[in-house]
Amino acid sequence: MDFKKVLISVDASANAGRAVDYAAAMLAGVTDVRVTLLYIERAPGRDRFESEEAWLGQCQLDHERVFDFLKEARGMLLAAGLPKDAVTERTERCSTEPSIAQTILDIQQTGGYGTLVVGRRGITKGEEFLFGSVSTKLVRDARNCAVWVVQ
Amino acid sequence: MPESVPLPENESVRALVKRFNSPVSIHSYGEVYSDTTEFMNITYGDVIAVGGRHFLVLGDERERRFGMEDPKFWVKRCLELETGGYRILKLEFQEGFDQHIGPLTIPCRRSAAKEARILRLVAGDGRFMQGESFHDARGNVVRVLQRVDGRRLDLNVEDIRANHRTYFHEIYPDILERFIRACRAIHFLHEHGETHGDIRRDHLYELHDTGEYCWIDFDYGYEATENPFGLDLFGLGNILCFITGKGVHTTQDRARDEDGPLITEADCALFFRHRIVNLRKLFPYVPEALNRVLMHYSAESEVYYETVPELLADLEPCLEVLRRK
Repeated sequence: MDFKKVLISVDASANAGRAVDYAAAMLAGVTDVRVTLLYIERAPGRDRFESEEAWLGQCQLDHERVFDFLKEARGMLLAAGLPKDAVTERTERCSTEPSIAQTILDIQQTGGYGTLVVGRRGITKGEEFLFGSVSTKLVRDARNCAVWVVQ
Repeated sequence: MPESVPLPENESVRALVKRFNSPVSIHSYGEVYSDTTEFMNITYGDVIAVGGRHFLVLGDERERRFGMEDPKFWVKRCLELETGGYRILKLEFQEGFDQHIGPLTIPCRRSAAKEARILRLVAGDGRFMQGESFHDARGNVVRVLQRVDGRRLDLNVEDIRANHRTYFHEIYPDILERFIRACRAIHFLHEHGETHGDIRRDHLYELHDTGEYCWIDFDYGYEATENPFGLDLFGLGNILCFITGKGVHTTQDRARDEDGPLITEADCALFFRHRIVNLRKLFPYVPEALNRVLMHYSAESEVYYETVPELLADLEPCLEVLRRK
């Protein structure tokens, strides 16, 4: 694994923003670094919406919010001094199975990323029990790479 | 999903009601509804026409929990006029609400489409309530359910006249065996990308004829999360604690027992800090391995079950141990 090949897993949350900010500070001035901003797209739960239109509307909103976020995140990395061609964006779709964490790990493995960066929400034990935690699963299951968990 | 047929002439519905030898007294019948949007207006003596069939409304279903009764105006007790069969009709009620589990709030929505989907998935599978769904004249999803011929498992367990030791050694193994099968039924849903969504002990029935367990009411829809089956696993744990303890045991109950074991927060459920899950402290003959399963649901646990196979991998050997004794 190449530790200078960095995979930053983001959504459009403030936690992801902090992860990008941290990575930008850490990677500024590092030579030969390559960064991929990865967004795992999962459609909102269809059963929570009154109609197909309402659900599609939320999908569109989510899509736009992430598009804006990725643009902003790229800007943060370039502003820190990373070369333009060192930063790429990637979006992958994911359904219920495999989980988001597993999808990230699959991409990390196949892409040979040696560093994985992720934000953390800081959830309670109860929330972790019921909803699960991407960062906890990444720390538990990641192999052959460093995991940076940014609170 | 079959579309609703055109509304028959009122006269033909009147003839159906007249021909039908109702076991209840119907003095007159009211409106015929092919559009169930205004379900609050549909009441005793009305007829719901959907899916080419006619259902005489006997009343609203009620939810009975913790000694309270809440009318469910969107759930109608009915007689099917064509067959005389008793049916439950669940009408589409687009309700969003917050579900509270301990300190957590979870946004949730009643989803008729989800329940209709699962009914199709489990058709012919006795581990689940059975029924069909139809669109009414306005496109609302109406679920026509067969009555579950059984009784709530928790009520049956509470009614068993035996002390806990006798219950645990002589009756519980059979209950656990059937509960494990009920867990596998939930796994079947998960394998098909579905969740039950509202697993609680009053949603599991014991069938009169076979004694097997049957899940009801799966219309709650949630946001997808990293742990999509977490809520179901939580519900299964609650039922497991209930059947193992032959009821709920709380710190309040134990406060009166001065000679009893010291119960701490670590012995209690993660979400309900007064509910004891460390049952081996109360009943020392509960095997260690079974108690370890229960402790996954305690406040001190750091590891949680995420899938039914994970739970069953620990639980099934416990049954074998109980059978050997």
